[in-house]
Amino acid sequence: MAIPDSTQHAAKRRMILGIKLPPRVVWTKRTRADFRTGMFFLLPWLIGFLTFTLYPMVISFYYSFTIYHARRLPEWVGLQNYKDLLVDDKFWLSLSNTMYMVVFAVPLGLLASFLCALLLNFKVRGQAFYRVIYFLPSIVPTVAGTILFLWLLNPQVGLVNTMLAKIGIDGPNWMADPDWSKPALILLGMWGMGGTIIIYLSGLQDVPVSLLEAAELDGANWFQRLWHITIPMVSPITLFNLITGMIAMFQYFAQAYVISGGDKDHLGQPLGSTLFYSVYLYQNAFQYLKMGYASAMAWILFVIILLFTLLLLKVSDRYTYYSG
Amino acid sequence: MKNNASSPDLNLSRPSRADRHSERQAHKIRNIFLATLSHGLIIFVGMFFAVPFLWMLLTAFKSDRDVFHSPPRWLPYDNVRMEVNGEPLDLYNVRVEDGSIKQLALIQILEGIGTFVDPAHPDEILTYEIQQGREKIAEPIMEISFRWQNFPDAMNRGSRPGVGASFWIYFRNSLIIAFFTILGTLVSNAPVAYAFARLKFPGRDLLFVIILATMMLPFQVTMIPVYLFFNNTLGWGDTFLPLIIPAFFANAWDVFLLRQFFKTIPEEMCDAARVDGASEWQIFTKIVLPLSTPVLATVTVFTFLYAWNDFTGPLLFLTSPRNFTMALGLQDFQGQKTIVWNQLMAAATVFTLPIIVAFFFAQKTFIQGIKLTGSKE
Repeated sequence: MAIPDSTQHAAKRRMILGIKLPPRVVWTKRTRADFRTGMFFLLPWLIGFLTFTLYPMVISFYYSFTIYHARRLPEWVGLQNYKDLLVDDKFWLSLSNTMYMVVFAVPLGLLASFLCALLLNFKVRGQAFYRVIYFLPSIVPTVAGTILFLWLLNPQVGLVNTMLAKIGIDGPNWMADPDWSKPALILLGMWGMGGTIIIYLSGLQDVPVSLLEAAELDGANWFQRLWHITIPMVSPITLFNLITGMIAMFQYFAQAYVISGGDKDHLGQPLGSTLFYSVYLYQNAFQYLKMGYASAMAWILFVIILLFTLLLLKVSDRYTYYSG
Repeated sequence: MKNNASSPDLNLSRPSRADRHSERQAHKIRNIFLATLSHGLIIFVGMFFAVPFLWMLLTAFKSDRDVFHSPPRWLPYDNVRMEVNGEPLDLYNVRVEDGSIKQLALIQILEGIGTFVDPAHPDEILTYEIQQGREKIAEPIMEISFRWQNFPDAMNRGSRPGVGASFWIYFRNSLIIAFFTILGTLVSNAPVAYAFARLKFPGRDLLFVIILATMMLPFQVTMIPVYLFFNNTLGWGDTFLPLIIPAFFANAWDVFLLRQFFKTIPEEMCDAARVDGASEWQIFTKIVLPLSTPVLATVTVFTFLYAWNDFTGPLLFLTSPRNFTMALGLQDFQGQKTIVWNQLMAAATVFTLPIIVAFFFAQKTFIQGIKLTGSKE
């Protein structure tokens, strides 16, 4: 992840992802000793990186050009997996389901988190208590939360639909309805957005009071102060959470798996509306045992995530304010 | 103050005492109005967060019949029972022949016919139709009662009938995995973070870029080779090892978190020790680590959250029910054809409880950790 730092702009030529590269190394007795000490401290990560990241990356890249059924040896097929993916309807369905969540759930969640943080920043009594209430659902384990929402959103006996019936609304079938399953999952996600709320809240508390007071003296009303001061001041938080939220959403899996009831043939139901990218990838790898095909999917996912991250960083340059 | 000496026309523009009073009054009313509005808004939105949570707790305390009561009631109700002839029986309000209502204890219902006994005359057996047409003849008497029994019932059962493993086992498995994951994370991340925070050596910044870049790498890319490595090469399938061992090799998030903290420890302290001939390892263990308890607590709490919560890892590697974690067990329980919602919610509550307890004991640590991980600048 880039660590944006406005003071480094001058050194742009020697930068990777916003971090300045050091000058060329001159190897002396001293630097060699330093290097050895450094590597000694880094040992746990170096071994882990090679074993659990770099080596699997290389292997998975190789698998993506093979047909591989786990038990038999991989068989080289060149670009066949990638070509097959391009004409695989379920691949495109899973990608569009995932894009739906990235495009709607992530920004909606951020907006709602920001609004909740504004509420929790009011100077009223009992705020500490309210903050705990908003935060608690976010530490409920994913599986427990998903099951709870299956219960709440049960079409016949769930609390939500019986409440809706009381005011004369015929509630949808939620998780059992292809049009409502994703909105239901978005609701579930928003229920657990307490962490983001806390982050925004701390951002709001860091907005200099002097700035807000100065604007107030100049006659700026609440909305103007919000729009011209608060929102720009928290924009780095927005960017960071947009990127991490997007990366997480591209890997959305556990909730979709749980609502299938663990029945592998039921994954992605109803009507494929919850067949998210990672769900289809999992299905290929561990249900159909198409490890090569699944590896190709994984690499496409990686490229998509990289492109989206770079795009967001590029676009946000203009809209993000860093106080330095 | 100059006010006393101000000119007459300025005096005219000054508000009279009564005006000022009513202005203050208006201000006060406005403040009360704003405060009420704020509370109202916060509570209204807060319902979205609180109600599902409460519903989980309340459902966990409901009796089997009350779970499906339509329309749902907030508080858990249970049948009023009475011991007749040494057996606890449900009490019913039954409309008897003469039209009056009598409290009878139900022995059984067979094909719509209820067999009752009058607690006052335990020898007499009475039979009534439960329902005549649309009219209810016999109705169970209910009272508010929290069914604590759901918790032992849920914990003593397995996720599926006949799996030979109970939720206690799942709970224990989750604890074991969480414990070793925390241990591994603490041991492995701190030295790496120290190197990135304080040591100067060739290649450091490049390696730091690489470690940060791994944050962007989706788990799915490495999932298959890592799975095959643990499962087929090492033969560790259906053991906790694939879930625990990687924790002993550091990860980008915790390294970053710890590095940010280590950088705030005054450099002079380390330099002083260096002058005295301390090695980097001594500085790290004797000076930096003892000063880092708050951030180590944060890492502990968040690793616990992660390990306790993790679903995908256990799903990939754990196949037999006796090795299931709480997350897997709950998922498996939920996937059954007939779902026992009250017990399911009781198990979900037990699953959530350790985290809630940890939160109330270490609220500051939680909040600090969230701010550190989430608002990187």
